Amino acid sequence: MQESYFEFTKAILDPATAKDKKEALTGVRVLDLSRVIYGPVVAKWLALFGAEIIKVEEPEEGDNWRTGTYWAKYWKDSCPYFQSLNPNKYFIAIDVKLPKGRELILELAKKSDVVVENFRAGLVEAWGIGYTQVSKVNPKVIYISCCGYGQYGPLKFFPSWDLIAQSMSGVARLTGFPGQDTYKLQDYYGDFFPGICGAMGVIAALNHRERTGKGQLIDMAQAEALMRTMLNWIFISMEGKDLERTGNIDPAMIPSGIFKTKDTHFIGIAIASDSQLAALLKAMDRADLSGQEEFNDTFKRLQQGTAEKINTAVEEWVACHSLEEVIEAARQNGFPAAEVKDDWQLTNDPWRRERGSVIEFNDDMYGKGIWPGIPVVLEKTPGRIKRLTRPVGYHNRYILKRLLGLSEDEIKHLEEERVIGYWANRVGQRPPYYYDMGKDSIFNYTGGANND
Amino acid sequence: MTDKSEKPLVFSKHLTGKAVQEHLAEFDKLLVGMMGNVADKNWAIDDTKVIEISDSNFAGIIAAAMLGEFGAEVIKVEPPEGDPARKITPHGVNRNGVGLPFIMESRNKYHITLALNTEKGKENFTKLVNQADVVIDATRPGYLDDMGLGYRQMQKGNHRLIYVAISPFGHFTNKAEKMASIPDSDLTAQCESGYPSLTGDPNAPEPYNYPIKAGIWAAWYMSAVLAVTGTLTALFHRRRTGEGQMIDVATNDAISSWQGFQIVWGFTNEMPRVRVGNFDWCLFPYGYYEAKDGYITVAAGNDEDFRGLLKILKRWDLENDWRFLFDRITDDVIKLRDLEKEFKKEFSKHSRQELVKKAMQFGAAGARDKLRSKGFPIIVETRTPTEVLKEKHWKVRNSIVEIEHPQLGKFMVPNSIPKMSESPPRIKWVRFGLGEDNDLIYKKYGLEN
Repeated sequence: MQESYFEFTKAILDPATAKDKKEALTGVRVLDLSRVIYGPVVAKWLALFGAEIIKVEEPEEGDNWRTGTYWAKYWKDSCPYFQSLNPNKYFIAIDVKLPKGRELILELAKKSDVVVENFRAGLVEAWGIGYTQVSKVNPKVIYISCCGYGQYGPLKFFPSWDLIAQSMSGVARLTGFPGQDTYKLQDYYGDFFPGICGAMGVIAALNHRERTGKGQLIDMAQAEALMRTMLNWIFISMEGKDLERTGNIDPAMIPSGIFKTKDTHFIGIAIASDSQLAALLKAMDRADLSGQEEFNDTFKRLQQGTAEKINTAVEEWVACHSLEEVIEAARQNGFPAAEVKDDWQLTNDPWRRERGSVIEFNDDMYGKGIWPGIPVVLEKTPGRIKRLTRPVGYHNRYILKRLLGLSEDEIKHLEEERVIGYWANRVGQRPPYYYDMGKDSIFNYTGGANND
Repeated sequence: MTDKSEKPLVFSKHLTGKAVQEHLAEFDKLLVGMMGNVADKNWAIDDTKVIEISDSNFAGIIAAAMLGEFGAEVIKVEPPEGDPARKITPHGVNRNGVGLPFIMESRNKYHITLALNTEKGKENFTKLVNQADVVIDATRPGYLDDMGLGYRQMQKGNHRLIYVAISPFGHFTNKAEKMASIPDSDLTAQCESGYPSLTGDPNAPEPYNYPIKAGIWAAWYMSAVLAVTGTLTALFHRRRTGEGQMIDVATNDAISSWQGFQIVWGFTNEMPRVRVGNFDWCLFPYGYYEAKDGYITVAAGNDEDFRGLLKILKRWDLENDWRFLFDRITDDVIKLRDLEKEFKKEFSKHSRQELVKKAMQFGAAGARDKLRSKGFPIIVETRTPTEVLKEKHWKVRNSIVEIEHPQLGKFMVPNSIPKMSESPPRIKWVRFGLGEDNDLIYKKYGLEN
């Protein structure tokens, strides 16, 4: 007998076999000059799929997100959120404000395929390490500049954070009930979404370079990425008025909403098609509703007024059933329904562990932890986590000796001139309290240049 | 407006000085060519043929549109009665029987119909797949395989194929198999990703105290871009090795796996978060407030930015009690509300423009300060989409573009992202007629009528 489809897919996709497989971005070197979330996650995607990432930080300061932790909670002297943003990277610390620091960065950029930065627009150009300067010495470079509003236009120097981009794009006013407070998209969607859009651009450019040999500049604007997701523009231009926010109802899918079950769990239900509606009404045992034209005709059903009526019927039905009963009904009849999960459920979810999107990882320096894993499963070239983050400047010797062929004396000289540096003795930057840096062979790297 | 006000405000001393200004003007010449007409530029992947089949799942529809924006030839395959996604549209608003999201995401696609429940339809589908580079399948897991058209069979005729599966729980694992019959939606994908459990105020009256979903298709768009990035990664691998592969995206996991902070919280706190209304778990102030004449957004979480905000509002008296980030974290919401109350009072005294101007002037002055110690509290208007449309910056960048459609006339859609100097993604056309391209595509791929 032929194996079932799910046996077949499990055999080829199982993340347990990932470490023996190839990596898609082997040989791609990335100079990551970015900090906080937006830029670092562009490089994170590349890091997960096999690129070599050299992350450059400011000596004795480091990436600001090394202290960006929820409820001021640290883990073994490090910021656990910073850990999740920067796996598989090399950490070097160079003072970009010194001319020699900029020279060093330019030398590294010369040997890189991709450069990622998210300073204010124009800053890297002013420093002499922008696209125009790097592409002169490395014409094949793919250079991505990430900022709030893009490198061009009257707002280009305007400051941005996730939340500011949400506000300037119009996304800010879309979440919440009508007439009530609006809420932001949580956990920095305004950084993470533009970040993955940036990674998309970089890999599109890598494909283009593979075909033509040409590098390029990518101008990634946070707010534009958010605007790409909004239906408001087409709605406004066709209807002459804006789409108002609708709380938990998806106005494009009716019935829809977040409902409370008999056992007081929250559950989301959203109906995309007539056949899904039939499935739901069958589960609800409400054949009487399916006969009515206002529910039957998709466009009529979606109109305000009708939408509320049918939603009320669903709300009442859910209130009489347990979470398990509703999910089982959805499974048997075929309509979209899902529990509103919380953080702790996600962390312990056996499905996510089996998928590899939540992983337990044992790091050489930090030991065991539970981390967000690989967001997309690739059969032949799966992503993987090989290493957590390291203290500021940890890989100085390893990278500068291997890649630029600097000698121990030259490195000491750069240290004396404070061109390169290390962590300050502060939480978020320093090594874990139990770790003996003196015995670490990477930190004290004594080998020479590597010409591969 | 005078010429002076057209000049961008500068907030960094590194960006002042004649030499730098001249260099940036030179840089602008490159940039301006990336904003407007880029029709003559290269396409990143115009050697790539993509087949999309989606069945009411917009994650697949959006992903295919984006591959089309990078230059792929995208053929959307629908049953003769059409993809039900054509009717997914806010408040039922449609044109010629087609909803707005479908119109918006039909960019650069060919639309053909195939009856996969007939032998001829199956043969035609196989012929198409054999000539394709990428298949985006956002139908129920196992649907194509059950008909003998799945990845196992596709590989036989096309071993270099990249097969991209998009579904709620993915195409493997025990749970995926058990839940395969549950279709996808953005709302349920947000729920399973734990996203609404982070939003809202648990102390509000019912039902306003419920977990609240994101007001955009946060899960579908995240899933789509993850799928495209995965596809481009696999395409890059294939260019170097000739090897095709399967890619699996679970929409129920897109936000939680990519944003990941939920998992980090779970790992380090061993409990779920409680919703905290307009607060953030890391920074304060970092949220929306009411000024005299509308909403403003305030981000001044760092200690130096926070001090700057106190100075702007002339409330240095608050400094002593709230000086450090540690004083302003939301593990004690009740305590923090005292501070929030003071801020709310101050913000309500001023107009939006007054507050924005004060913050910007403070930031610009701070940037000129040698020590850079004054911080930069950021205040902006919390803009509605209608207000966004008036912003000149987006017009200069062509961020939102007008499409002229032969039947529908003119309408606006967001432009392709990101801007790229050599192979920019862009919109070739927006057209969406059911089976509109049957003649063209059937002929080109040798399909039978």
